[in-house]
Amino acid sequence: MVGSLLAIGIIASIFVGFNIGGSSTGIAWGPPVGAGIVKKTTAAALMTFFVFLGGWTVGRNVMDTLSEGIITTDLTLTAGVAVLFFIGLGILIANIFGVPVPTSMTTVGAIAGLGLATGTLNYATIAEIVSWWIVTPIIGFWIGGVIGRYIYPEVNRRVQIEKSAGPLLALDRDGTIPKPTFGPNTTWAELGTTVVVLVIGCYMAFSAGASNVPNAAAPLVGGVGGLPDDTAIIIATLAIGFGGFTIARRTMESVGGELSDIPLLAALFVMVTASTITTLLSWIGIPISLVMATVMTIVGIGWGRATRPITFREAVTRDTGEPEIVPGAITAEEMEGKPAAPIGEEEPEEVLKAGDLFNPRAIMKYISMWIIGPSVSTVLAYGFFILIPGVA
Amino acid sequence: MLSRILVPMDDSEHASHALEYALENHPEADVTVLHVVGVPSMMMGEAVGLTLEDDISEAAAERAEPVFKRAREVADEHGRELNTIVGIGHPARNILDRAEDYDTIVLGAHGADWSRATRRFLVGNVAETVSKRSPVPVIIVH
Amino acid sequence: MRLLVPMDDSEHANLALEYALDNYPEADITVLHVVGAPSMMMGEAVGLVFENDISDAAAKRAEPVFERANKIASERDQDINTTVGIGYPIRNILDRVEKYDTIVLGAHGEDWSRVTRRFLVGNVAETVSRRASIPVILVR
Repeated sequence: MVGSLLAIGIIASIFVGFNIGGSSTGIAWGPPVGAGIVKKTTAAALMTFFVFLGGWTVGRNVMDTLSEGIITTDLTLTAGVAVLFFIGLGILIANIFGVPVPTSMTTVGAIAGLGLATGTLNYATIAEIVSWWIVTPIIGFWIGGVIGRYIYPEVNRRVQIEKSAGPLLALDRDGTIPKPTFGPNTTWAELGTTVVVLVIGCYMAFSAGASNVPNAAAPLVGGVGGLPDDTAIIIATLAIGFGGFTIARRTMESVGGELSDIPLLAALFVMVTASTITTLLSWIGIPISLVMATVMTIVGIGWGRATRPITFREAVTRDTGEPEIVPGAITAEEMEGKPAAPIGEEEPEEVLKAGDLFNPRAIMKYISMWIIGPSVSTVLAYGFFILIPGVA
Repeated sequence: MLSRILVPMDDSEHASHALEYALENHPEADVTVLHVVGVPSMMMGEAVGLTLEDDISEAAAERAEPVFKRAREVADEHGRELNTIVGIGHPARNILDRAEDYDTIVLGAHGADWSRATRRFLVGNVAETVSKRSPVPVIIVH
Repeated sequence: MRLLVPMDDSEHANLALEYALDNYPEADITVLHVVGAPSMMMGEAVGLVFENDISDAAAKRAEPVFERANKIASERDQDINTTVGIGYPIRNILDRVEKYDTIVLGAHGEDWSRVTRRFLVGNVAETVSRRASIPVILVR
């Protein structure tokens, strides 16, 4: 009985991990792959390794929260398997309808539903988690805003991201021992860029592991007949890696394709910010969705950019044909509002305002997406464990 | 060019706007006005009344007459001819059943009218339902 | 008569333009394409704000749609105007109603695989036809 239950649980866990691998590989490696810096296979391999590292180290804190923090008793194997099915259901819905369902939050929702149904919910812990969920998007948005407004323009003036034709490194076979040399067009700057991009991708993979491995692994741990932590982490990692090598090819094109619309430098800022938020929260044991942290940072950086003040220096170097001398700082909207039409050309009928791209109502819509997922999973799990009390 | 246009009309002001729009913008088209009687209502008065008549077609035509009269007045102002048809029952379904025979449907849009929530519940939002399900283009006139 | 034909990159948008050209040969037709609409990762919108010249960048992104529109128009020996908007398609269209007599829109069928888009962008055809103060033609 316990054996077959465990087998079902492992299969469910692999399904969950596989899908997590698909979606988070797309987010972590979409920009570098899109920019042609890394190959998809290399990305998947690096992903698997760093996911494992994240899950093995920081991820344990999140696993503790999921298996024994949210509910006052230990999560039993039966209940864990049921919870896995709710996580899987969320993923299935996400895949069918193309809705982003934040897995980490669905997991907490399902376990909280179990706690409510059995009267074992640890209200203090759940309150702490939920308050972080409220604060995190605001932090992500705010940091993104600061970067977009003040930091990005500065860095962008100094840094050039280069990618030349031809291989980055070649093997020099002239000597007795082949030694690596630069490819035909490689410069030091390009090598540096590539290394930075790789490191940031690995960092994001690490944070994906820290936040997502526990979703697939925690429900299998604990209780009679459950797996030891280490084994569960390894199974989850392998499943995530499998997803990274297979379905991530598709998500790297969809999610990654969208991300590659953003300049690589901005994308790197987003990745560092989102990974740091995710890693820090996982460190203190708060389950958090990497996708949520990423989207909120992107929206923040875009908003910050759209409303940035333009300094004198930037304003005159802008390629608007006829530089205007602008004292002090005006906002980008005003600047873009007057693209000084050359004489003899008809004034454009209307001007496009960057601010139109980010309005508060839309930002609220993004936030509400993250509320719906966990709420639905809480309600469903609550109903399930009330109707079938034997499982818990 | 559009040759056959269906203009479903109820007794509202919007319906007259729709007809005017059709006549003005499609001077060459063959315009047919449809009025549906016996629409579901709170007490189902009209619908039951109709079924109790001896000759249901004649009774329905009689009930549709005021709407057609108004429609013809609008048409006269534009110096145009109209065809008229009477339907019975559920307006949206009635319109959709006929849609295939026309090139375009021209409909008056009702504003959100909360004082007629019962009607909205029983009859539905005709403009919205038709525009969502119609196989042919729908022109919504405000 | 001045017609506004908002087009996205769908097949329905082509039908709307064809309908407008065929049925209103005398009309002054303007094709509107809105870029940077909200999406899951906000890629296009954020990409746009990082461009030096947002109007220029938006025009470039709208080019494929206008190219298609111009091809449809030239098949019929007719001329069209084009205009680019950014941000929210619905608001963008509604903000322009005063300059036109009628809007011609392609109606999308129910598309459940794009729930996210529907949630973030809304149902353009339905909302515009409900809120516009001028007649709206829904083509399918």
